Amino acid sequence: MPYPTDPIVVSGIWAALILTLATYSYVLYKETYAFRFAEHAFMATTFAVAVVVAVQTLASNTYLPLTQGDWSYLIPIILGLLMYTMPFKQYRWIARYPIALIVGVGTGVAIRGAVQAQVVGQVLGAITLPSAPTPINWFNFFFSLIAFVTSTSYFIFTKEHTGLFKYPTKIGRYVLMLALGSYFGNTVLFRMSMLAGRVQDILKVLGIIPF
Amino acid sequence: MSKSIWQKMADVDKRVLYWLLFLLLVVPYLHPLALPVAVQETTLALYKKIETMGPNDIALFSIAGGVSAWAEIAPSMVAVMTHLVTRQIKVVIWGFFTDQDLTVDMIKSKVPDLTTKYKYGTDWVYMGYLAGGETAIAQLASDVHAVFKADKYGTPIDQLPLMQRVKSATDFTLALTVDTGSYILYYIRHWSTAKGTPVAEIGIAMQTEYLPYYPNAGLMAILIGVRGGAEYEKLIGHLGDGTITMDAINVSHLLFIIAIILANVGYVMTRREKK
Repeated sequence: MPYPTDPIVVSGIWAALILTLATYSYVLYKETYAFRFAEHAFMATTFAVAVVVAVQTLASNTYLPLTQGDWSYLIPIILGLLMYTMPFKQYRWIARYPIALIVGVGTGVAIRGAVQAQVVGQVLGAITLPSAPTPINWFNFFFSLIAFVTSTSYFIFTKEHTGLFKYPTKIGRYVLMLALGSYFGNTVLFRMSMLAGRVQDILKVLGIIPF
Repeated sequence: MSKSIWQKMADVDKRVLYWLLFLLLVVPYLHPLALPVAVQETTLALYKKIETMGPNDIALFSIAGGVSAWAEIAPSMVAVMTHLVTRQIKVVIWGFFTDQDLTVDMIKSKVPDLTTKYKYGTDWVYMGYLAGGETAIAQLASDVHAVFKADKYGTPIDQLPLMQRVKSATDFTLALTVDTGSYILYYIRHWSTAKGTPVAEIGIAMQTEYLPYYPNAGLMAILIGVRGGAEYEKLIGHLGDGTITMDAINVSHLLFIIAIILANVGYVMTRREKK
């Protein structure tokens, strides 16, 4: 892709470069006014975008059906408006109704799918034999199965983790530590990718590497 | 009292590490190292699935990741979209992040065939942003038309030819979810498990969370972060940002490994000195 020539795009990419450097000034030097400005600009922009998108979504998904005569959409609009009683102490109780509805529906929907996908599905996944019987697949199968059983046994609190129960729960604890270590490693990896992306963008804007 | 060499190793100022990291990341972009990238089974599974699809199939491209994660997910998004367009597969895009319009614009610029060879409304549509998280995804699985009344540009859904073929999750041959959080779990629960629609993940490096669902518990393929993108670029023979960025990430990991070893050696030796 050639280097942009449109003045609006050029000013945008340079603004991004300056704000990136301002943001990283925090870790490369210390908290500065530049960092604070970038931080506040980020928050403000994010909020502004969210408001615009929310209005657009309301227009297409609520206003349009209303204009087509579907008056049932007045119900969620009224429930939504009731949420705005929160700042007024005297009328705050009214907001409990839409919140209760959201929490109730959300919980019901999540539980309906979670049992099948995250309990039954996980058990089936753990005991399903590998489709390609290679040594590494068998190793993975047995490792996953042992990790699944032992880490689950760690969360049995009705029986003391002693005697025969001691070793499976201990192995389960190590498995959990491995998983948590992997989570942390992944998080670091994700941040490295983000930093690499910013470095790449800086080099592109400066014209050091092709855009 | 001056610090010993071991104490200095254990107490390196983090700013020194950040500067080193910042400077080291520049090197692979200036002089690509071309380190090999082996294709994993989780990535190959998606490639094989798309290879079996054609112009009559419809793929969902759900965006649940923001601009801030482009460095991690953009290479995979671009590579997979390139493959979908090459196979002439119909594409429906929607998403759950307020800044997703920028992501769609980025994909359109990196995969120009999406706008030049594809006809909007017939071959691809962009339905826009949707709030509601899991509740919305569950409803979309049952009735897309009850959720979306119009596309992003205000065209009523009934006037979009492609959306006449899309009523529920079962009308999709493949659901791709670009994900930096837990949206994949929602698709597994309500699309894969409940409706039987194959679901694949284009995610960040969070495979510890996703892998338990692959391949028998709701997830048919996973593209893991930049590496997944680099692998997919290799599969479709279209090397891009994923391949280049992998070099930078490898260099950064090398620095981290060295820093961890040095800090631990410094810590152990300092303790010995104190004893």
